[in-house]
Amino acid sequence: MANYAVATIILLSIILIGLLLVRPTITAAQGGKILAFIAFFIWPIVATVLGASIHLDNSKSTQFCLSCHVMEAHGKSLYIDDPTYVPAAHFQNNRIPKEQACFTCHTNYTMFGDVNGKIRGLQHIYVYYFKTIPNKLALYEPFKNRECLHCHANARSYEETTPHREMKEQLAANDMSCLTCHNKIHDVANIDKTKQWKGPVR
Amino acid sequence: MTENTSRLQRKLKRAAYLLIFGLAVEGITLHWAHPTSFLLFISLGGILVLAGIAIYLIAIVTT
Repeated sequence: MANYAVATIILLSIILIGLLLVRPTITAAQGGKILAFIAFFIWPIVATVLGASIHLDNSKSTQFCLSCHVMEAHGKSLYIDDPTYVPAAHFQNNRIPKEQACFTCHTNYTMFGDVNGKIRGLQHIYVYYFKTIPNKLALYEPFKNRECLHCHANARSYEETTPHREMKEQLAANDMSCLTCHNKIHDVANIDKTKQWKGPVR
Repeated sequence: MTENTSRLQRKLKRAAYLLIFGLAVEGITLHWAHPTSFLLFISLGGILVLAGIAIYLIAIVTT
């Protein structure tokens, strides 16, 4: 919806600028000057600001993350037909929104992190096009429990489970990783050996 | 037509071409969810639009 609104603003700007280009004498009148100010200044600024916001929003989508060929195996790992795999179980059971699956658990990654994260995001594009992509992809820093706890903290299923209760402070302080026990994650190295879920039955 | 007016129109023409091209790039990249499209939006579309706006503003202030 927002895409269409911005596309309309862009189209109207182009038409108006084109009109002023063909008939520059319009700008001689007071009304023409105002029209030129809208076409040359107001609408392009609005289109650029809204467009950047749409792009940032798009970059949270699963489709965006998996649009690079190198992420294909990570995408497949969401369809592993085995409930012990943490990302697959979350994705297939709607514990995370399917359309923002990557971003929900990797909130500090590339575009969404600090300045370093954004610079890394640009480096990824550079490496993707001009360098050799490493065989094994890894996070820049260990996965933080914050990513799990922003949903699980205060949830009954988490709070009332014995191991969680015993280690609550360690987990909250990130002294012990959730992945120590919940260690079946993307497993991209063996992705071709896993059975794949075909998606919901329609 | 005075020399000032024709100079203003020349600058406006330059700003118009930059803006049309920049806005077209922005419009096209909006329909493509890929990291490259974001980069193109900012580094090509955004810069062309800003350059067009800057030329327009300079033109109306100085001419």
